[in-house]
Amino acid sequence: MRMKWTGMLAGIGLALSCGTSALAQELTIFWAEWDPANYLQELVNEYEAETGVVVTVETTPWADFQTKAFTEFNARGSAYDLIVGDSQWLGAASEAGHYVDLTEFFNKHKLNEVMAPATVKYYAEYPSNSGKYWAIPAEGDAVGWSYRKDWFEDPKEKEAFQAKYGYELAVPKTFKELRDLAEFFHRPDENRYGIAIYTDNSYDALVMGVENAIFSYGGELGNYETYEVEGIINSDKNVAALEIYKELYKFTPPGWAKSFFVEDNQAITEGLAAMSMNYFAFFPALVNEATNPHAKNTGFFANPAGPDGDQFAALGGQGISIVSYSENQEEAMKFLEWFIRDDVQKRWAELGGYTCHAATLESAEFRNATPYNEAFYQTMFKVKDFWATPEYAELLQQANQRLYPFVTGDQGTAKETLDALAADWKATFEKYNR
Amino acid sequence: MAAVRTSTERALNRLAIVCVLIVTLIFLAPIYWIASTAFKPRELATSVPPTVLFEPEITPFVKLFVRRSQLREPVAPEVYDEAPWWEKLVYDDGERLVRSGRTGEVQLSGYPDRFLNSLIVATISTILAVGMGTFTAYGFSRFKVKGESDLLFFILSTRMLPPIVVAIPMFLMYRAVGLNDTHAGLIILYTAFNLSFSVWLMKGFIDEIPREYEEAALVDGYTRMQAFFKIVLPEAATGIAATAVFCFITAWNEYAFALILTNREAQTAPPFIPSQVGSGLPDWTVIAAGTFLFLLPVAIFTFLLRNHLLRGMSFGAIRK
Amino acid sequence: MTTAVMATLDPKSRAAARGMSDLAIRNLFIIPTIAFLIIFNVFPLIYSLGYSFTDFRASMNAPARFVGLANYRELLNDPFIWSNFVITAKYVIISVVGQVLVGFGVAMLLNRTIPFKGLITTLLLLPMMLSMAVVGLFWKLLYSPNFGIINHALGLGTFEWLSDPDMALYAVAIVDIWMWSPFVMLLSLAGLSAVPKHLYEAAAIDRAGPLYTFFRITLPLVAPILMIAIIFRTMEAFKTFDLAFVLSSQPTTEVISIRLYKMAFQQWQTGMSCALAYIMLIMVLAITNIYVKYLNKVKER
Repeated sequence: MRMKWTGMLAGIGLALSCGTSALAQELTIFWAEWDPANYLQELVNEYEAETGVVVTVETTPWADFQTKAFTEFNARGSAYDLIVGDSQWLGAASEAGHYVDLTEFFNKHKLNEVMAPATVKYYAEYPSNSGKYWAIPAEGDAVGWSYRKDWFEDPKEKEAFQAKYGYELAVPKTFKELRDLAEFFHRPDENRYGIAIYTDNSYDALVMGVENAIFSYGGELGNYETYEVEGIINSDKNVAALEIYKELYKFTPPGWAKSFFVEDNQAITEGLAAMSMNYFAFFPALVNEATNPHAKNTGFFANPAGPDGDQFAALGGQGISIVSYSENQEEAMKFLEWFIRDDVQKRWAELGGYTCHAATLESAEFRNATPYNEAFYQTMFKVKDFWATPEYAELLQQANQRLYPFVTGDQGTAKETLDALAADWKATFEKYNR
Repeated sequence: MAAVRTSTERALNRLAIVCVLIVTLIFLAPIYWIASTAFKPRELATSVPPTVLFEPEITPFVKLFVRRSQLREPVAPEVYDEAPWWEKLVYDDGERLVRSGRTGEVQLSGYPDRFLNSLIVATISTILAVGMGTFTAYGFSRFKVKGESDLLFFILSTRMLPPIVVAIPMFLMYRAVGLNDTHAGLIILYTAFNLSFSVWLMKGFIDEIPREYEEAALVDGYTRMQAFFKIVLPEAATGIAATAVFCFITAWNEYAFALILTNREAQTAPPFIPSQVGSGLPDWTVIAAGTFLFLLPVAIFTFLLRNHLLRGMSFGAIRK
Repeated sequence: MTTAVMATLDPKSRAAARGMSDLAIRNLFIIPTIAFLIIFNVFPLIYSLGYSFTDFRASMNAPARFVGLANYRELLNDPFIWSNFVITAKYVIISVVGQVLVGFGVAMLLNRTIPFKGLITTLLLLPMMLSMAVVGLFWKLLYSPNFGIINHALGLGTFEWLSDPDMALYAVAIVDIWMWSPFVMLLSLAGLSAVPKHLYEAAAIDRAGPLYTFFRITLPLVAPILMIAIIFRTMEAFKTFDLAFVLSSQPTTEVISIRLYKMAFQQWQTGMSCALAYIMLIMVLAITNIYVKYLNKVKER
């Protein structure tokens, strides 16, 4: 009996280990687990119908997407042929040789004209302005805002707001208005809170959130070409931006010191918050009545401007790259040729993907397709990103270590926090001889 | 102390019974909550106040096994009507199935693969660890071994190594030989991890089998090997079964190695289940359904093992 | 290795003449296991000891450069690493003390005439058999400030268990206490049932009070087994990774294992993380040593 069992199990094991690699006409794309990955699966199913090549989109949750991807790269594994990787990974993945150089492909298809400029700059090129490309912009994304239209449009609220702040209650145009609105709607005794922002410090959530303020305040994280940070990351603009972000934290629902996209969407679906920061890619769940009881009353706006009128947003989104350990690189190239076709990009947008294809983005059809596409369109032309150097993970960790205690824990001042961060980053860049 | 004599003693005893019942309820509440959430309609999983009584649903289990995507617009009534009952359940939750482009087949979620991986890795590593462990335990139990206590300490200490500490060099070594993300890689590690435990536990069991049995067999003309297989192994059967179940549970539950050393092909359920958070809003019912199926075998085994738990947990140091 | 296992044959054995000699069987039974453990446990550790003196990064193609003790020096001077150790120590103390109080308390209760004692004991043991990572995840839902059952049951409103940086470590420890008190209970029960009844009878005849009986009879006799439970749990809590990693990402719950994981597999500072692994390893081996000494002592009894 036992022999039979072991025999059977060994058989299963063998079948499993051989089964998947037997066919050459297969491609595996690795991405994070979220709806766009499902949309991509539907898109590539059409590729399968057209060419017979079976493409599978494999996913892993956001929280360990980066770790999983780099574990696989550093294990030199061939499990994935293509990867839809975060923009910050470009430096690390290209310098270590994990990505196939796509410069030639990029130039041949004139992709820097076909794709929206910001997406080429941040999703594909490394180092900055080098003309070397490692990815094809695939899923555009940035941080935007959702809000409760019914609360904003309630005449009583409008009246009260006018009386208190001296201007009309409307979708915020500036961070100052955003703050006022958050304060106005913050009513803990009614179990209603002002605003939901990113605070989680495990990956890039908190840093993304703070970046939204910093970029709109006209600040920068540093000089991406010279690696200078002193006087830039701790500039007065950034200090003011960090202070307003900390102030917003006061108007968040209870238990908000560890929140990312899940919690921020919940803030709207549970009716907790008036406004909520999130990536555009997570907005489909908010217009779906099965998942958001307030779907009809949920509106969207782009990241507001700072005091000097600058208006930017933190970039999310990813480009698609070929993994250099893949055994099917040629097949992967063919897939990319298909993927960048105009009709495919249009289809990608129809299925729910956030295309980076400039012509599709600009079309009225796209901009009117959903309640948030217009805000997305506006945002995609004014996005900025975090460092994309190979040691970005350390930079991120240092930023989390400094920013988190200040924003959620009341420790130190904004100036002290950013000065310390500038010193950390400077030391790191010195360590790597940047 | 156990004897109940005076009326105060009796009252005290009743109080103790009540306390025990309360403690038991508190300890079981989280497990009940997992099991019940697995059968809840989605909106009741996060309702305020929490829902205790509800009409159980099977939807979470259907969703657990298939690849799904958010419905962007309501499904057409004619499509809905033609769908099989389980697909309707998915539609009812505002989602649709993802189908293959060529064949139109429903695509499975990652869960069944991970569950199967867990089964393969835990079973094979258990057979190896218990097999080797039984031989070694017999060797230590029946023969004089120089430096026996040092060797046994060495064997036990391998079990105490923090997984992350071992995982760093293992990752590099596996990378060199291509064992990352393979069943074999994980099986080897789990075997090594459980081997020390199985040696210690089996030694206790074999120590208890009287040597006279084997000696009688040797006199009857058995070789040492025959005596081991025909006399000792059957006598140790209960011990082997108990050890096997312990090893299986340990391998089944292991998280850190699986997190670091597997990615896709050989990934087991423990690193996968926490990753089920999904698209923007966690669907706790599906996570609970996955957790429920995953915990079920262990719960059953715990009942089978109940008389050996003490021994297993104390590495055979304390017997019952 | 053969020299280590060389020993005189069991004088009573008479099988030497037939089939394999006892010595051959013994070696055949023992050596593979020892070899297996050396290859897959000791060898990797030697390998990583080597890397701990280099600046190697597994994410880069650059070869490892020898840096001497620089990694160790930098780690021991890093205030963030020290705070990770402090957090770990705090976690160990909270969770082990909690487990001993709850576990021993429940064992005292169960050590009476209780109906369905066997069933109740088995049910109580269930939590420790389950996967920490998988069940731990679920406590996120139980702890949720808005719709968690815990706040609702205890009437705590929207108490922030996991997102309050100061509370998070306690919240993680509570789950650990829930999972592992049964372990302390199980061992305590074994200890309690081994206390000879006549001692209690003698104490009753002497009209000794319950406190006196507890401190002079029960506790001293249970102490050795309880000590095993405490050392074992201390060791496990010191190594803890799964629970805190799945449940919380607060800096205040970043125990040393999590820090090590991040350093090795998120920042890919392979050399540095090997050094930290060694610092941790030495500590674990020290506790293990104490544990095994105790185990042997109890075994001899």
